[in-house]
Amino acid sequence: MRRPSVLILLAVSVVPTFAGLAAALWFGLDAAGFMRVLDTPGIGLSLASSVWTGAAATLLSLVLAHLAVAVSVTGGWRRRLNAFSLPLLAMPHLAIGIGLALVLAPSGLLLRLLSPWATGFTEPPDWLSVQDPYGLSLIAGLIVKETPFLVLVLFAALPQVPAERLMLQARSLGYGRLKGWMVAVAPLLQVQIRLPLAAVLVFGLTNVEMAIPLGPDLPPTFSVVLWRWFIDADPAIHAQAFTGTLVLLFVTVLAVFIASRLARLIAVLWRRWAESGSRLRGERAVRGALDATLGGVWSLGILALVAILLRSVSGPWRFPDILPDSGELSTWSAVLPVAGNVAETTILLAAATAVAGVILVLPAAERLRHDAALGRKLGAWLFLPLLLPQMTFLFGVQVLLVYLGLDGTFAAVLWSHLIFALPYLWGVLAPARAAIDPRYLAVARTLGAGPVRAWTTSTAPLMLRSMLLAMALAFSVSIALYLPSLFAGAGRIATAATEAAAAAGSGTLRLAAVHAILLAVLPLAAFGAAYAAGAAVFRNRREVPR
Amino acid sequence: MAARRIVPLLVIGFFCVADADSAGADAESPAWLELQREASGQTVYFNAWGGDLAINRYIEWAAERVRERHGVHLVHVKVTDIAESVSRIMAERVAGRDADGSVDLLWINGENFAALKEAGLLWGPWTGRLPNAALIDWRGNPTLLIDVTLPTEGFELPWGTSTFTLFYDRSTAPTRSQSAPRNPAALLAWIEAYPGRFTYPQPPAFLGTAFLKQMLLLLTDDAHRLQRPAGEDFDEVSAPLWVWLDRAHARMWRRGRLFPRSGPAQRELLAVGELHWMMSYNPAEASRAIRQGELHETIGALHLEGGALANSHFLAIPYNAGSKAGAMLIADFLISPEAQARKSDEDVWGDPSVLNVEDLAAADRMLFESLARGAATPSPPARLLPEPHPSWAILLEREWLERYVR
Repeated sequence: MRRPSVLILLAVSVVPTFAGLAAALWFGLDAAGFMRVLDTPGIGLSLASSVWTGAAATLLSLVLAHLAVAVSVTGGWRRRLNAFSLPLLAMPHLAIGIGLALVLAPSGLLLRLLSPWATGFTEPPDWLSVQDPYGLSLIAGLIVKETPFLVLVLFAALPQVPAERLMLQARSLGYGRLKGWMVAVAPLLQVQIRLPLAAVLVFGLTNVEMAIPLGPDLPPTFSVVLWRWFIDADPAIHAQAFTGTLVLLFVTVLAVFIASRLARLIAVLWRRWAESGSRLRGERAVRGALDATLGGVWSLGILALVAILLRSVSGPWRFPDILPDSGELSTWSAVLPVAGNVAETTILLAAATAVAGVILVLPAAERLRHDAALGRKLGAWLFLPLLLPQMTFLFGVQVLLVYLGLDGTFAAVLWSHLIFALPYLWGVLAPARAAIDPRYLAVARTLGAGPVRAWTTSTAPLMLRSMLLAMALAFSVSIALYLPSLFAGAGRIATAATEAAAAAGSGTLRLAAVHAILLAVLPLAAFGAAYAAGAAVFRNRREVPR
Repeated sequence: MAARRIVPLLVIGFFCVADADSAGADAESPAWLELQREASGQTVYFNAWGGDLAINRYIEWAAERVRERHGVHLVHVKVTDIAESVSRIMAERVAGRDADGSVDLLWINGENFAALKEAGLLWGPWTGRLPNAALIDWRGNPTLLIDVTLPTEGFELPWGTSTFTLFYDRSTAPTRSQSAPRNPAALLAWIEAYPGRFTYPQPPAFLGTAFLKQMLLLLTDDAHRLQRPAGEDFDEVSAPLWVWLDRAHARMWRRGRLFPRSGPAQRELLAVGELHWMMSYNPAEASRAIRQGELHETIGALHLEGGALANSHFLAIPYNAGSKAGAMLIADFLISPEAQARKSDEDVWGDPSVLNVEDLAAADRMLFESLARGAATPSPPARLLPEPHPSWAILLEREWLERYVR
């Protein structure tokens, strides 16, 4: 084959995904197993709460993200929205979930801030505010994470759409800025983000990272039920988990299908609304309400980070004290040695994922720089694992790893992390490479540089910023991954995510908070380092051409 | 040991002691020296519940000791539930990995031990080969030889002992104004009088199941019935428990619609003031937590009248362990007077020892006698209640889920 670099990428990502799916089908297709899954107490409710929380969170995040983009672009504060989104984007689901559990609980930070002066509470009220049976706290948690993600995706799609021209036309027809954007620009943007939106829906339906700290418990969401089965001692229950992952796959595929049909229906209704020619009154009120909502979402995310920090250093922390007794801050010294080893593994794994990922992706991006169609196709294949329930194929991958004797090795975990980092790396590096003017390379070659020297002197410096950003992104993806580390690591590889999830799973939020700090801080540090390194390298250049 | 009325268990225990396997070997014997040589340089994956910082730190300490002294590398694989490791061993058997498995040493007891032993997935008997096994209190505490009604037969080594203990916050108004409840009826009255401040970990979390067993033992008319496997009469025998729970749940924390996921989770809820109660198998848990700044100093402890549920926890080696010599060396260290005394120390972990302290050499005995007992540690209970047959726990968990997961 003439494109070994592309084939290697596919071999790393798509092959294990399909092999894992095949193994899951092989072990999971079992009529008796299905009966046992369906006989589990509360299983109907579990499935319903998975679908309800995933669908509601996706829909609300999408609406919020569209409104936020519309209002910020037309209102001239796009940069501010970007800056606001960053910390929420960088913090993993698990960290935000653990943090929100510490904010929203009756003994949490929010009520402590209000008690007793405003509420009169001297003891925490007996409210079901976290892990409520309706999944509202879980939905809130997902919205805090998915809204900024969708905002980012919408911004990335914006250059593909002639927004300014459309807005001029809409404005000249007398539409307000908000309505103009919603009828003229938003539908075109929506078409561009279908794939990432599907990934958000799949994650919402199948995640354990947020459902463990925030989701309902009697019964939990279906994916958490599966997660518990997977770690059960009884081999019959273990087998039933295999079958369960197929149920999860089926429900997910069905939900994505229904969502795509609903999207068509909404598109039709949307067109009618546009064709009605009505003008939106009270745009100012909409903007005000949206500002407040976005502010609320953002504050929740930041409060979550504060709550993690406070809880990790607090001993007894009786309600309604806002700060733990200062004498107890010493507990951190007891925690540090435990967290130290975990931090080492986590950072090593994330750094290896970033470096290996860039090494894998760069040659393919180089190869496909002139072939945009094939590049998009490869991107879609690499994106595939994000459209599947992680559990379904990771179960299969784990069985294969055990057969190969590779489970529990650093390499196996690294591989599983690459599967999830590659789509992001490709998404950053391929367009960056394609955007470089080919004449730079041509000039270098005509000046007598060989292909390697031409690449290192002309292409590499132009790619450096993108490479740094891609590495920070891959680093953060790796930090956040939980199920891949659990399944491929066979319980031997302890990362901040596995430790935080295990602690949250047994309800020990203080221990979970200690590891959640790593989860929250490492990605922020990586992005900061990437930015600083880029600035340092280019400090003596006035402007770096693209 | 104090007068413990577990006559049937004592009888079985006596026969097991007569078995040479439990007697312990000589530390200078050629076989043990050979084992030490073999163990040196091995890496031992010790799968143990990792949900408690104090315990994790204790295991870290042990790892340093055995690395310095014997060159054995102990890696603590922190699991949420030891059942994860049990299922991994079973998966390895299915996958044909009969040597060099991923688990070398397990912290285990009860149903997980029963599952592995019945499936033939444990290596042994091996405990009789350890020099320090001779120091264990085999005669004084029958739960060291009978693990939840199943004889251990040298396949697992006692590591610590447990008695079910309740803890409550003495500073809160309800318990300050009256004496703490010490039987199921009084506890129910307390829950109804002060709603929202009592709960228990959610079964099948092991402390939650323990609470169900403890209450059933006190509520049923015939506690002896629970020593034999559960059968057709399960509904009849367990009926008083469900009546009690139905009434309690209505006034419990979150009205019984949400439960803490584990014992430590409940301890955190006590520490932030949501609850007034917690429970543990470790009588020293609250004292230890107070000293380490995890709980307020106002916590008190009690055993319910009628007896405290008791058991032991153990170390076992899977059939396919790759580092059996290293695992045995570590196990022997973990039951040495040095390691057991440190484990009993409430500043460290506070888990009661398995050794017969009275018969130890004077220097070793001093290690134990110099330990202080905290104010939140109750004196040993007047009566120990042996664990019911494991089939009861399984049925109780299933029935609990059927009833309360809606």
